[in-house]
Amino acid sequence: MTHLKLTNISKEYGGTTVVQDFNLDVEQGEFVSFLGPSGCGKTTTLRMVAGFEKPTSGTITINGQDITNIAPNQRNVGMIFQAYALFPNMTVAQNIGFGMQIHKESKGAIKERVNEMLALINLEKHANKYPFQLSGGQQQRVALARALANRPQVLLLDEPLSALDAKIRVQLRSEIRAIQKKMGITAIFVTHDQEEALSISDRIVVMYEGRIEQVGTPFEVYNFPNTRFVANFVGSLNTADAEVVDPVKGLLSMDGIHFESAEGTKDRKKGDKIKIAIRPERFGFASEQKKANVVDSTIENITFLGSVVRIQLKIGNTKFNMDTFNNPFLELPKIGAIEQVTCSREAVLVLDE
Amino acid sequence: MATFDVVKRDAPKARPALSKFSWAWLGVLPFFLFAFMFLIYPSSTIALGSFQDTKTHTFTFQNFAHLLQSPSLIASYWISIKISLITSIGGGIFGFLLAYSAIRGGLPRFMRSSLMTFCGVASNFAGVPLAFAFITLLSPSGVLTGWLKAMGYNPYFHGFQLYNFWGLSIVYMYFQFPLMVLVIAPAIDGLRKEWLEAAENLGASSFQYWRYVAFPILLPAILGTMILLFGNSFGAFATAQALTGGAINLVTIVIGSQLRGDVLGDAGLGYALASGMVVVMVIAITGYTLLQRQTERWLR
Amino acid sequence: MKRGGLVWSWFWMILGILYFFLPLLATFLFSLRAIKGVLSFKAYQNLFVTTDFVTNFSYSLVWAIFTIVVGILIFVPTAYWVRLRVPQFRTAVEFVTLLPFVIPGIVFVFGLVRTFSHPPFLIVNSPALLIAAYTVLSMPYMYRSIDTGLRAIDVQTLTEAAQSLGAGWETILFRIILPNIRVAILNGAFLSFAIVMGEYILAQYLAKPAFAPYMAYLIQQKAYEPAALAVISFALTWGCLGIIQLVGRGSQQAQIAGGH
Ligand SMILES: Nc1ncnc2c1ncn2[C@@H]1O[C@H](COP(=O)(O)OP(=O)(O)O)[C@@H](O)[C@H]1O
Ligand SMILES: [Mg+2]
Repeated sequence: MTHLKLTNISKEYGGTTVVQDFNLDVEQGEFVSFLGPSGCGKTTTLRMVAGFEKPTSGTITINGQDITNIAPNQRNVGMIFQAYALFPNMTVAQNIGFGMQIHKESKGAIKERVNEMLALINLEKHANKYPFQLSGGQQQRVALARALANRPQVLLLDEPLSALDAKIRVQLRSEIRAIQKKMGITAIFVTHDQEEALSISDRIVVMYEGRIEQVGTPFEVYNFPNTRFVANFVGSLNTADAEVVDPVKGLLSMDGIHFESAEGTKDRKKGDKIKIAIRPERFGFASEQKKANVVDSTIENITFLGSVVRIQLKIGNTKFNMDTFNNPFLELPKIGAIEQVTCSREAVLVLDE
Repeated sequence: MATFDVVKRDAPKARPALSKFSWAWLGVLPFFLFAFMFLIYPSSTIALGSFQDTKTHTFTFQNFAHLLQSPSLIASYWISIKISLITSIGGGIFGFLLAYSAIRGGLPRFMRSSLMTFCGVASNFAGVPLAFAFITLLSPSGVLTGWLKAMGYNPYFHGFQLYNFWGLSIVYMYFQFPLMVLVIAPAIDGLRKEWLEAAENLGASSFQYWRYVAFPILLPAILGTMILLFGNSFGAFATAQALTGGAINLVTIVIGSQLRGDVLGDAGLGYALASGMVVVMVIAITGYTLLQRQTERWLR
Repeated sequence: MKRGGLVWSWFWMILGILYFFLPLLATFLFSLRAIKGVLSFKAYQNLFVTTDFVTNFSYSLVWAIFTIVVGILIFVPTAYWVRLRVPQFRTAVEFVTLLPFVIPGIVFVFGLVRTFSHPPFLIVNSPALLIAAYTVLSMPYMYRSIDTGLRAIDVQTLTEAAQSLGAGWETILFRIILPNIRVAILNGAFLSFAIVMGEYILAQYLAKPAFAPYMAYLIQQKAYEPAALAVISFALTWGCLGIIQLVGRGSQQAQIAGGH
């Protein structure tokens, strides 16, 4: 059942359109991420849901109720800010209880809910501390508890992890996801970090320059990007100019080197200029089983990235990256060596020029 | 002096115990000699004098006892404190409203920088010229008095006086509220937009945001700055002297007269009077510092 | 901010502007009335011709210049040395530089007069005492200014870099540190200048000619000339703070709040 619905939302600031034709249905209990580069309108869209900005046109409904013109303090939508935004003059417990205090709930009820929330975020011991006495990760957990204590219908998170250290970031994001699942709350999570979006979302909305580029599960968005932007932005990608040789077989030519692609050349003609795109991890060194797309390459450089080894190679005149998993018995080629590499037909994506 | 105790205690730490004794501390000696000679020693003369019998030079509490027994000296403290309270609270509230209007009131941006410039000048424009400016404005033959008279309202028929307590308060306000604006502005800047949004998001009205978030956050800064204004007015001398010609019974004015010719007829009493002022100032500045520290913790 | 809020904002601003400008306007208008019936700059002319304004003003100028020089000579090396070699003195030095805030001017001069008017230090009549006292008065501003300037440049690294290139102490101080904190020193210098030019109590009680006591004297004697003096004094304050904002590009807030 659709819980949160954005219909034809657009937003202009003094003539510049920063969000347009935004349509999205979010299911009850779903975790949706907005993913896109900085400045693409993610925050603006989120703030329209929260009520801090008014859409120039379009409607927003929650549970079928139109909230487009309702004041932010009447919406019961929880918001988490990048910089925590905890009230510095209140203790952790007071911060968490603030929403209920505003709604004039009884002291006992507030106390009970605050304790429940403190247990949820594992900060029972810190109930009487002030925000400045907590680490960034702890502060963000308190902000989460504060938003959840109000029992909001939708939880909005605007890059809640980007101010934190890498370790805490990974840990907290799974915590957020676990709490969201446990409470069954609908959540929208804004991020510019594709790994973050891929790892915790039910669905991802990829945005670019105010528009939705693609909506899909992490699996879909990563493996079947609709547009060149999505392909490029989500995961890393090698791209190269090529042209269609045989639309029916999916045969493509990159400076005379042929690639076969399993997808999408049927609506194109021979000689059409296109881009081919191959993810680094889809390459492998050629072994006898592989038949398709075996090409010669020159090894140019090898970079050790921890769990992954990145090999830079040159196919024809074009540079490609190839990633392979690290293991102690890996036999790496020599720099300057000529090696055959391969990728499956499914790995070759075709993008518009 | 406490200062020198600190120095002595700290000096051995200059170098770790292993390395040989360092002469690096000699580098700050000129500064401490200067400060001792022209600030600490003269000030301690007064502090010591207030505990000394004028004739016998023996230790005594008599001077303070006399101070407490003199109704006119007690009154001078009371008037000084009263004028400082009134102008620090009045100037504090007015300055805060001004600063908040300029920073968060939706006024054009240049208003803010102009206000800051004006306040920088006004908080420094004090003493004799300030007193004179108000004389030309508000004395019985003053410019504003003239305009008001022309409009059929003579303030002097309604109990107004420039050369008394209330007149002096009005003049003091001229350097009090600009100081408030200058000192409180960073605190207002420190109020983050997200706090308002977080409060709204949790269901608070603008009033509730003020009541529960913005005001409590600013309160230490407001109180602290008001205490600073208190000290600023408590120690003021030149403005009052030039405006009233010494006719108002402020502690500073009494000390001024005592200095010109022993009007109290008791040197020790003069010292006690002055020491009392320093005590009040120390309390004020300490209060300001503590509250400022609290503000910094919250607004960083 | 809602509409009602905006109206209030304007209300307070206008009130503030009136409070600020009315006394100045009144003084300025008054200063132009030296000749009955017409507006003229006669009072300003009189200042130069018939009064001792120039003499007293020049004295104040001299006091100010000496104060600035002495201040720089004492506070720059101290602040530098504290940052570089003896950081353990930082608290003590800062504490001392802030002492003038808790000692009201009249109490300070009281102490000076009582201390230095009998042996072993009979120097109450020496201009040196006045300059030392002014230096103390401007210390919180001068020292803080310089220290802020030093904090902005990395003293430790700059000094070590210079030493590793073979520079001696004079070279480091005069060719490297000083030029780098020029703005901070200028800032402190103009604040000190404004303080000394407006200061009344010290000059009055140490019985030295100066601008502010002369103005107080002139108020008793004349009507329009002191108004002209007040206008000049105001312009001077404005000028100093303007220059500070200009050289510091508004980055440093100028406030004195002393000598009231
Ligand atoms: N209040 C505003 N006025 C004018 N332009 C704005 C305002 N807020 C955001 N923008 C512009 O809208 C665009 C989208 O901003 P934002 O939603 O914050 O992007 P994101 O969160 O994806 O980084 C940006 O180009 C930004 O400059
Ligand atoms: Mg954003």
